[in-house]
Amino acid sequence: MIRSFAQLDVFAAKPGDGNPLAVVLDADGLDDATMQAIAKWTRLPETTFLLPPTTPEASYRLRIFSPRREVPFAGHPSIGSAHAVLEAGLATPRDGLLVQECPVGLLPIEVRGEGRERRLAVRAPKARVLEIGQPDDRRLGAALKGYVPGALPPVLMDGGRRWWLAELVDEASVRSLVPRWDAVSALARGHDAMGLCVFARTPGKDYDLVVRALVGQPGQVEDAASGAANATLAAWLHERGALPHADGRYVVSQGREVGHDARLELRVDAAGDVWSGGMVQTVVRGTLDWPG
Amino acid sequence: MRRDFLQLDVFADRPGTGNPLAVVLDAQGLDTAAMQAFANWTNLSETTFVLPPTDPSASYRVRIFTPRQELPFAGHPSVGTAHAVLEAGLAKALDGRLVQECAAGLLPLQVEGEGPARRIAVRAPRGRPRTPPPGHEAALDAALAGRSRGALAPALVDNGPQWWVVELADEAQVRTMAPDLAAISALTGGTGAVGLAVFGRAAAGSEHALAVRAFCPADGIPEDPVTGSANAAIAAWLHQNNALAGLGPRFLASQGREVGRDGRVHIHVDADGEAWVGGCTQTVIRGSLDW
Repeated sequence: MIRSFAQLDVFAAKPGDGNPLAVVLDADGLDDATMQAIAKWTRLPETTFLLPPTTPEASYRLRIFSPRREVPFAGHPSIGSAHAVLEAGLATPRDGLLVQECPVGLLPIEVRGEGRERRLAVRAPKARVLEIGQPDDRRLGAALKGYVPGALPPVLMDGGRRWWLAELVDEASVRSLVPRWDAVSALARGHDAMGLCVFARTPGKDYDLVVRALVGQPGQVEDAASGAANATLAAWLHERGALPHADGRYVVSQGREVGHDARLELRVDAAGDVWSGGMVQTVVRGTLDWPG
Repeated sequence: MRRDFLQLDVFADRPGTGNPLAVVLDAQGLDTAAMQAFANWTNLSETTFVLPPTDPSASYRVRIFTPRQELPFAGHPSVGTAHAVLEAGLAKALDGRLVQECAAGLLPLQVEGEGPARRIAVRAPRGRPRTPPPGHEAALDAALAGRSRGALAPALVDNGPQWWVVELADEAQVRTMAPDLAAISALTGGTGAVGLAVFGRAAAGSEHALAVRAFCPADGIPEDPVTGSANAAIAAWLHQNNALAGLGPRFLASQGREVGRDGRVHIHVDADGEAWVGGCTQTVIRGSLDW
């Protein structure tokens, strides 16, 4: 059967800057095994499948698959899928919001602007602190060659997925960092975490933070742009009163070290909820022909 | 600017069983940096760009990129690109032949059949055995830890890339191999090889004649799902040792089941001793590209 398909670049001001995503726009009738097979075949970090909502409050229903398994929630697939829904005219925002139905429940997605300038942001699940480490934590030193800690101590957070977060002293330290992958993996496995996210403040730049997200399990890979990891980081900065600006908004640069140049826009609202988003580019528009 | 785009599954009788390939059908005006950036973005093992030929005897011109670099030639991108060109009507086969212009020169392709059953084969650069550096035996033993070997001597075969070609005792020795990736990296890194290709003969009555697996851990690919050049290197080495007996000049290799695929590579060693690798290609994604 032939289905509508799009391949997008998420958190990108132009194609190639962001994190790619494949979206099957009319996935009705595909079984779990077929969705998993397609997600494996695309070789992208995630592939999503759009389905009619099962509840009237929702704009659409979404299932998200990595090449290995179904993921209950993730940031960049949610942002990209909402963009695909709007482009295809499958739903319209109400009061500037779309409501995404996914296995973790109903999640609001904020829609601002139009066309290429349109920005989308998803409200991230509440994140909580699991463990605050020492600034000279040896577990981090093992994973990060030449680690010079910044102002905040390292922390293990749970925002749906678990991440270690570590502030480094400046942008150059983050950009030039050489991960020791086996130690990153050991750190991830030891805490049932995705991996380690490092960041630094970037005064004088047109972004506020530089971020790199090192996934230690199941694979060893650096993310081009991580919606959920950045949302978790925003919650941590908010908790410590360390957000870059008083209005709760800031911009992140991520992905240059892996050949991308993503921009993520973070916002902590009055209720303390974190919104993670940015722009999306439609790169491929077409059809998918897959049996099932 | 919008360009025609296809994403294919090569060496596949049905979608999901082969080796994926992205093809940009009208790549004129894209510079090398843009091609490299797009090939990095697709995250596929290869992305190709179709251009008008510069040589009057060529049917089309293609440039082949991995996420990291441009390649002069590769098997599955050539087979898939020829399929895409025929699908799009950009060239027609003459007497069952297409001529591909690529960085490695002009290469002939053979086209057989029509529609989903159409098979396309590319003539691989001739495989030649290289003398491995002294002391490689221990590294080879370590990379093949515990496997029973077949009759043919292992060889380092150069057909563009260099492959270690090793016959194992039978198909089961291939299918059940748990690769020691560190040992394979040490072998290939120490001998200038891109990877290790193992093969075993299937029991009589199997549809395929050989089971093949290809490991390239030093290149960031622990196991490649379906590999044109490795299959061509195996065919060349068998031919040079008069070991095609029992297989015949045309046979089918099965690769990729151990990584969730089921690739099928049709191999032909012609009267001149040239190895052709081919198979079916499935068009999975059809659309336009905005880059």
